[in-house]
Amino acid sequence: MSIYKLHYFNFRGRGELARLVFAAAGQTFEDIRYERNEWPSNKSKMPLGQMPVLEFNGTQLPQSITVARFLAKQFQLAGKDNLEQAKVDAVVDTIADLIVKYSPARWEPDETKKKELLKKFFAEDLDKHLQDLDVLRKLYGDGGPFFVGNHLTLADLYFYNTGQNLLQMDENSLNNYPWLKQNREEVEKQPKIAEYIKNRPDMPY
Amino acid sequence: MSTYKLYYFDGRGRAEISRLILAIAGQKFEDIRYQSNEWPSHKSEMPLDQMPVLEIDGMKLPQSMTIARFLARQFHLAGKDNLEQAKIEAVADTATDLLNKFGPIIWYQEEPEKKASISEFFANELPKHLHNLETLAKAYSNGGSFFVGNNLTFADLCVYDVLENILEVDANILNQYPWLKTNRDEVAKNTNIATYLINRSQTEF
Repeated sequence: MSIYKLHYFNFRGRGELARLVFAAAGQTFEDIRYERNEWPSNKSKMPLGQMPVLEFNGTQLPQSITVARFLAKQFQLAGKDNLEQAKVDAVVDTIADLIVKYSPARWEPDETKKKELLKKFFAEDLDKHLQDLDVLRKLYGDGGPFFVGNHLTLADLYFYNTGQNLLQMDENSLNNYPWLKQNREEVEKQPKIAEYIKNRPDMPY
Repeated sequence: MSTYKLYYFDGRGRAEISRLILAIAGQKFEDIRYQSNEWPSHKSEMPLDQMPVLEIDGMKLPQSMTIARFLARQFHLAGKDNLEQAKIEAVADTATDLLNKFGPIIWYQEEPEKKASISEFFANELPKHLHNLETLAKAYSNGGSFFVGNNLTFADLCVYDVLENILEVDANILNQYPWLKTNRDEVAKNTNIATYLINRSQTEF
């Protein structure tokens, strides 16, 4: 019976970041996954009618990034002091902005419109966001392969997951960003992460 | 002693939460405000070509909520341990969800779309966000008037700031939300906040 329970759907979505933090930390947790048809009957059990929700010590925590930051702090993956935590946060918020930008295209149900929106995103918007991430890693990264300081943090885990989504939409999307490509490889190389990725359900999103 | 410089436009917008934290902490800082015609010449000085930016001892931090969370931790407004911090951040994220819905309407839209969007927002968006805030208050406030624990924290300041914009448009929005009304009064009663609010200049946004 784990003291950590994560409630989310049976896909990566907004829950995967928390799962990656647990994996990087080697921390066991109850990975409660709901199929879509199970959700309506469980919705009212969640504080804001949404998931992911983390249950810890009798407390329910909503908000995916709050959950991920909490777990990162619990397991020393959030930055070693207040200022470093803020640098990690700045990268995380910048990745979140990227996700907000590509989401309308990614989730567009009309195939023709989707193709158009994706084309526009990749032609007009992607570069600014990836350049922003490059700027931050140059500012905060100490010249190494990780976004902040010389160690793996929440920032790297978040980019790892987000990069997967980008590459799914366009396999060439990181070609002009060798450092970002390398950063993802560093994350994948971590033994506990590699193990987790090997064993997790293979979900399209 | 650290030096703090906050760079933003001449308005509340996405910087005011940080100004409120600095005010309540009684921390001196350089409150740098660029007029819109000055901004283009300073844009490239900011890591992500955006504001607000916080400069701490020469180190620049972008991302409004990263800045606010950092300052909250610096000045002990972020909860006494990881879990309390997470509860506070869950409230802050929920308030930010509300700001991200309302902000673009009042900051960027023009009439006549603006009027229609505001009506739509009040009818279909605002109630669920206010309800969500009250839900979290019930879960985290220990029965008191502050969102988390029994003290004024970053959570209370966040909600105060976000609701200020909405109350400007309709002063009655909290009439059905007595807890939120009381919470707001408690924040305004804080001596440092009250002094700050009296002395603050009126701005367009």
